[in-house]
Amino acid sequence: MQPSGKWKIWGWTGALVVLLILPLFLGKYSIFLLSLLAIYALVSLGLNLLMGYTGQIAAGHAGFLAIGAYVTAIFTANFEWVPCPLTLLLAGTVSGMIGFLLGIPILRLKGFYIAMATLAFGVVVSEIILQWSSVTGGDDGFSVPTARIGGFVFDSDFKLFYLIIPVTVIMTLLARNLVNGYIGRAFIALRESEIAAQTIGVDLAKYKTIAFAISAFYTGVAGGLFAYLITYLSPDAFTIELSVDFIAMIVIGGLGSIMGSIIGAVILTGMQQVLAGLQDLQILIFGLALIIFMIFMPRGIVGMLSDLKEKFI
Amino acid sequence: MQKLKYVSTFGLIVLIALFFAVNDSTAEVGVTDNSILVGCSNSFSGPLVYPGTQLVNNGLEAYIGYINAQGGVHGRKILTQYYDDGYKPQNAVANTKRLVEQDKIFAVLASQGTGAVMATVKYLTQNKVPLLFPFQGVPISGQKTIFTSFTPYPNQSELVVTWLVKVKGFKRIGILYQDDKYGYTFRGPGEKTLQKLGLKWAAAESYKRGAKDLSAQVAKLRKANLDACLLVATPPPGATFLKEAHKQGWKNTKIISSGPLTDEKYINLSGGVGEGVWGLSLWPDPVNSQLPAVVEYRKIVDKYGKDKDKTPNRYSLYGYFYAKLFVEGLKKAGKNLTRESFIAALESIKNWESGMVPPVSFSASNHLSQNSGFMVEVQQGVFRPISGWITLKEGSLVPLKQ
Repeated sequence: MQPSGKWKIWGWTGALVVLLILPLFLGKYSIFLLSLLAIYALVSLGLNLLMGYTGQIAAGHAGFLAIGAYVTAIFTANFEWVPCPLTLLLAGTVSGMIGFLLGIPILRLKGFYIAMATLAFGVVVSEIILQWSSVTGGDDGFSVPTARIGGFVFDSDFKLFYLIIPVTVIMTLLARNLVNGYIGRAFIALRESEIAAQTIGVDLAKYKTIAFAISAFYTGVAGGLFAYLITYLSPDAFTIELSVDFIAMIVIGGLGSIMGSIIGAVILTGMQQVLAGLQDLQILIFGLALIIFMIFMPRGIVGMLSDLKEKFI
Repeated sequence: MQKLKYVSTFGLIVLIALFFAVNDSTAEVGVTDNSILVGCSNSFSGPLVYPGTQLVNNGLEAYIGYINAQGGVHGRKILTQYYDDGYKPQNAVANTKRLVEQDKIFAVLASQGTGAVMATVKYLTQNKVPLLFPFQGVPISGQKTIFTSFTPYPNQSELVVTWLVKVKGFKRIGILYQDDKYGYTFRGPGEKTLQKLGLKWAAAESYKRGAKDLSAQVAKLRKANLDACLLVATPPPGATFLKEAHKQGWKNTKIISSGPLTDEKYINLSGGVGEGVWGLSLWPDPVNSQLPAVVEYRKIVDKYGKDKDKTPNRYSLYGYFYAKLFVEGLKKAGKNLTRESFIAALESIKNWESGMVPPVSFSASNHLSQNSGFMVEVQQGVFRPISGWITLKEGSLVPLKQ
């Protein structure tokens, strides 16, 4: 291994350790906020795999988040003894399967038509939640039971932090391996040119549906964590606006970048936190900030950083 | 090297100690000798932006500004902090945690929206933070730290149906409702009330949220030959319904708008075809009422209101009224203010005269501020009273004085 690689590993390990001991020094709200950031980062990561790497515009990820959240909530309410990591896995799998199924008809579509179809998917999911009230609680909402592993109950934001962060870290590492491997290269090939990718032997149908499934899996797991953290679900939570926020996250952070997904989630959520205290100017500032990001950083923050690096180093 | 290790270990321990030291304080959260901090998560964007900004800026802020200008309550000025949730439950939870844990508020005052409020109930109850007068109509009862505000939707439905049958002698009553929780909380209790009176819905039609076309529903309801038809909708479909009824020439049935729909805004939206519509009003007319308390409200909003749009309306009246009730609680709680003493003070309020709605009384088992209303009719675009204040006691109508 190169020396720089070694330092990199030490650097990341150090960062991880800092992250894990951080809650000891932070207020309860900051811990909650960090957890929420991690969850959004996970969604953004999943979306980036689909949009940034594979080039499919998906505008309905709030729907997958809702599926993950409701599966987790309903399953935990009925089978409380099941350790929560398994429940999260189930939530991700259900969401992933639905993503896979959605991916099949979408194979026939291109560009903005995919955006339309996924947008409609998001709307359909929240309508189903609303109408299927015998299971989901409909408009009454659903009070989520606390997560547990055996006798250990995650009944505070502090404890939940140690569920959410490890899951996020593990899934980030998995995503990193994925995009650096064969599947990731196939995704990128598809994004760059479908015809070229097919001529070198990338199975278009297979990898597109896989991209949908993996993206939905990530968002589903994030939905499960979301349910545990927020503790109350209702269809109002999973709006088109939220789907658009997710897109904004990866565009700001950087399309086709793992780090970009995380940075985007942090910046967008942070910005919303700061702006929540303002009233009139909130939407104006938010919109202006987005425009500025688009003009000056068309490839997101990560894109800008790598441009700067090339320029000066 | 060894020294460094000791220093860093020491530093770590100091930091942890500091962390706990900060969390430990003897005075009540959010209260100092000269201030009280309250706040809420509300809608400053999203579908409820108008109610949210009016309720907060021209309601709460206007009355609190007025009280602070007089030196506050027991020498304490009331400070406020608000965050926008855009009617998203997850943002409401985040904001509420921020208010409680970071800003350290004394109580949540007048947060808004059923989903957004319900999402915070469990958290606030567990942390024993008072939730005062949230703007929503789904009943919440049995919580020591929660005080609710206006007549809950089920009670409104019972009240209207009973009045129509007993006072007006109507027999054939129908309903058009929005196909969600809001609609069901009117349909279900209304049906029960009708059953008690030996009747049932003569017709019941629904529409999906955001529907643009209600012609089929109007046609069916019209065919049912109703004496009265309850309209449980949000303002845009409510206005569509009135226009469609007008277009189809449906005249022999009284249309009765539900509580939250009974607002000038929807009558304006209907473009002049709302004449003669009835409704249950929970408030005196904010624009035209000459009651001294309402006149004072308009004056104070004009002077202390923080929103540019100072047109009097039911939302700012709401915020104003509940800020007043909150201040009444503070006055009663006295100099030694804690969350417990405040709750006890609110519970001791008996027959508090506001000059706007019937006297408010709380007790250890009753945390509901209002359980009454009066019937109104649209005359020349304005809601005019056609009954006095009424409430229900064990199924029968009881008149109340204002």
